[in-house]
Amino acid sequence: MREVCICAAHAVTGLGPDLESLWRGVMAGESAIRPLTRFATGRYLTGNASWIEGLETKNGRSGIFALLDQLLDGFGPVPANAALITASTKGCVDTMELLQAGLPGNPAEIPMENLLHHLSARFGLTSPGININAACASSTIAVARAASQIAAGRSEAVVVVCMDLVSEFVFSGFSALQALSAEVCRPFDRNRNGLTLGEGGAALLLMSREQAVRKGLPVLGIVAGWGAANDATHITAPARDGCGLIQSVRQALKRADIEPEQVAAISAHGTATVYNDQMELTAFRTLFGERCIPMHSIKGAIGHTLGAAGGIEIALGLKCLESGQLPPTVGMLEPEESGEGFLSRSAQPINGHYFLSTNSGFGGVNAALILRREEM
Amino acid sequence: MNAHICGIGWVTGAGFGWGKQGGDCSFSDLPLPHLTRKDVFPEPNQRFGRMSDYTKLGLAAITFTLRDADLETWVEKRPIGVVASTRLGCLATDLEYHRTVLLNGGGLASPNLFAYTLANCFLGDAAIQFGLTGSSVAINETDVDGLGAIKMALEDLAMGEADTMLAGICDLDVPDAFVDSISLRPGALFLALTTAPPSIPGGYGTVSLTEDGGLIHNGIKTNSLTGLVLAVLAGRTAVQPTQHNTTLDSPE
Repeated sequence: MREVCICAAHAVTGLGPDLESLWRGVMAGESAIRPLTRFATGRYLTGNASWIEGLETKNGRSGIFALLDQLLDGFGPVPANAALITASTKGCVDTMELLQAGLPGNPAEIPMENLLHHLSARFGLTSPGININAACASSTIAVARAASQIAAGRSEAVVVVCMDLVSEFVFSGFSALQALSAEVCRPFDRNRNGLTLGEGGAALLLMSREQAVRKGLPVLGIVAGWGAANDATHITAPARDGCGLIQSVRQALKRADIEPEQVAAISAHGTATVYNDQMELTAFRTLFGERCIPMHSIKGAIGHTLGAAGGIEIALGLKCLESGQLPPTVGMLEPEESGEGFLSRSAQPINGHYFLSTNSGFGGVNAALILRREEM
Repeated sequence: MNAHICGIGWVTGAGFGWGKQGGDCSFSDLPLPHLTRKDVFPEPNQRFGRMSDYTKLGLAAITFTLRDADLETWVEKRPIGVVASTRLGCLATDLEYHRTVLLNGGGLASPNLFAYTLANCFLGDAAIQFGLTGSSVAINETDVDGLGAIKMALEDLAMGEADTMLAGICDLDVPDAFVDSISLRPGALFLALTTAPPSIPGGYGTVSLTEDGGLIHNGIKTNSLTGLVLAVLAGRTAVQPTQHNTTLDSPE
């Protein structure tokens, strides 16, 4: 198996137009969650989300293109031989909303293949692209797929683009499911009461070590391991025993050829729903015992960005490994009892080389990715 | 690495079935059949009636595939993965759900429909129904050969992510509002692929990836899902008499 390097990472979130602003914001304990103005929220559980200025539909065109412009204007060149993998749950859902309301819009935007063609043309790529839809674990699985392709020698480079919008479509759905917090979400808090939605995107360039050296590109981190599993329990609720997440992490540990003791920090999914967060704590206690590994969730800072969540968290994970610090869990006031020692309202030091990032989602999906710090 | 095809099942406008049952699989422009629980499961199934049409379609094709591969019944959950390629995913459900959002300022949005507004939702139902704990993803692709999911499943098998994978396609008819801008032949079809050689003679042959990303079935390059399915089912016809005679000659 070949070594898989991440050579470029970028993110656009409610905290700012790049990875640096995200890093500074979460380290300072800031949150981009605020009242939404994009659509009326009076009939929903909340009016709050983490949103980005300028992503409204314009002239019948989806706001996802404005998001991609913001994201890719700050992203370096991509080798022509790179494969393209995207991650999005709902793509141009706002175009569908326009059409349903009888407003002008292009129906051809709706199939995800349209976004793939758009991105291929923008990057100047010739190979076919695929979009991964695995609910809120989409981008974690997309990065895992990219790493697998490179490790197996099927690709020299893969660019992964992750994206999702705050739309009334999704907002109303989570509200109908009673899953939205009426305030600002509080991941892993013992009084947490639901998630807050967010929007954003991430772009990651993965390469074989050989190509990274040939191109003279920096290595921000190594994708050491990955895993994915279905808990086969419920469509919208996680398995209480965390069996799918446990299986995913064990696969990732095996692929990385490391022991649980070598994991130095965790970026958890941490949506702030009662059942998700408890499931994760159960899974991590099963995996890591009583050892207190620094763990955090960024959902209180940038909301739950759905199919983009894993990509943004992996990009942030690279910053964590570089700096040796794990940001605080923004929004958490009093940690869930079983999370005490894992979680903090302050930044925590990372003492080790391996960083675990996990996500779970509807349809029973779970995914885990292990990053390794590049040796200096 | 060669993977053995141990099952095939489908639902198209021309009908539904699975390999060992006989019959052919052909994608057509005919509307898809309205699937009932009895078409898919011989026993009562409390969840099937509540599922979206997209989920029923995908779950039915997966059920037929597992039945064909003698993997339908289970006692313990199994690490079988699924990759499903789709062009429109759950768009029909999205439209149906969104009509509930447009009523009363969103106050009457349907939580039950919303749960089915992800392209991977039917894979979750399949996982629950059949205890499948491998990775389950829906994909959209730019290639038009329809082979993307099968290639991805073969990659997973080669990487040791699973020993058995289901791979195929799933799309409903194009919703009326989109027929002028999108065209496809609706239906669902899955293959069961495994690294283990079949324990009895027969089966549907082997598939493997070429170095340039192509697909080979029984040593012959295939360029489309339609071509692969034809070859797979033609192979079935060739081996059926042998299997039949073996059964007749059996002391049982």
